[in-house]
Amino acid sequence: MSRPRTYRPGMRGWWQRHPAYRRYLLREGTSLFLGGYALWLVAGLLCLAAGEAAYGQWRALQGTPWLFGLHLAALMAACYHAVTWLRLLPLTVPVIRLGGRRPSDRALIRGSWGVSVALSAALWLYLGGGWP
Amino acid sequence: MAGERTITLEVQRFHPEADEAPYLQPYTIPFSEGTSVLEGLQHIKDRLDGSLTFRWSCRMAVCGSCGCMIDGEPALACRAFLRDYAPGPVRVAPLDHLPIRRDLVVDQSDFLAKLERARTYLIPADERTPADGAYRQTPEEMADYYDYAQCINCLLCYAACPQYGWDQAFTGPAVLALVQRYDLDSRDAGKDARRAVVNADTGVWGCTLVGYCSEVCPKGVDPARAINQRKPASVADYLLGWLRPSGGEGTP
Ligand code: SF4
Ligand code: FES
Repeated sequence: MSRPRTYRPGMRGWWQRHPAYRRYLLREGTSLFLGGYALWLVAGLLCLAAGEAAYGQWRALQGTPWLFGLHLAALMAACYHAVTWLRLLPLTVPVIRLGGRRPSDRALIRGSWGVSVALSAALWLYLGGGWP
Repeated sequence: MAGERTITLEVQRFHPEADEAPYLQPYTIPFSEGTSVLEGLQHIKDRLDGSLTFRWSCRMAVCGSCGCMIDGEPALACRAFLRDYAPGPVRVAPLDHLPIRRDLVVDQSDFLAKLERARTYLIPADERTPADGAYRQTPEEMADYYDYAQCINCLLCYAACPQYGWDQAFTGPAVLALVQRYDLDSRDAGKDARRAVVNADTGVWGCTLVGYCSEVCPKGVDPARAINQRKPASVADYLLGWLRPSGGEGTP
């Protein structure tokens, strides 16, 4: 039996259809800044391996206004990414029971913020030479 | 009573034998506090234009037939009220991402085929007869899947899923949520039978957590959660598949 003709709407301009789609793109887009920053750090490492002069040049570049601006943008992107990432984290937790109860979304989000702050503080102390 | 309130509905029309592409047709109708969008459409069909085609049945957000895009948002026409769109005009179109059959009627066959393939029904561990008595389940066991069991197959979540819009091979929110509904049920033993659907690239891994599906669901199913809470187990299946000499059924 032949099926009647249907009309299939395309996906052209899909992100214009709803703010939820644009929030999604913004969330995913922030990872480009994070990736860029990682590449910049790798470049620094390579300069370090290449010798003192190269590393000195890489460090000198840090002070330029446009690189400062990029770093600021990367920081803001990282913060936004972290907030949205941890907000979605409870959705990825399988059905588990802690002490006979399922942990609430709020407890999971707060717990992961706690772990993340503790790890960041430990790293900060370690790099500052204050720990261990 | 002084002056009845009226509102204009811009309804998307499409006739497969007459129209090359869909177009909007405006209808101005009277409405009151309690007039739903569905009642607006019924008014048009009964009094203004009998050719307007749309689905409905329960008119109380239970049957899942009347889903459509209302001002760009997937919604049940019987659960949306014209007063919230006044002064209008309000645009009513068929559900996004699905093939249009006629006017507001979309083709659901892809969804129904997927529902069947995913075996979204109770598969008990052993044959039971009524003589064996009722299944027993604690309230906690029921709470694990209860929200996912509220799905009414209205397809609003598919209209809110750009991944499905791009690739109809993606199993999609409601079917994957229903898989999780049965897999989490203590009476069910069909997890292995559904594993291939879940673990495929077109299964849970087709989801990038846009999350809009859970926002539009009229029943609070939260398909985004159902899909993503399954990903850790899917990874475990994949890794175990490497260890098993047979390769395991779960490997994508
Ligand atoms: S999950 Fe929600 S939106 Fe999707 S079909 Fe079921 S009831 Fe409708
Ligand atoms: S008519 Fe049944 S859900 Fe709207």
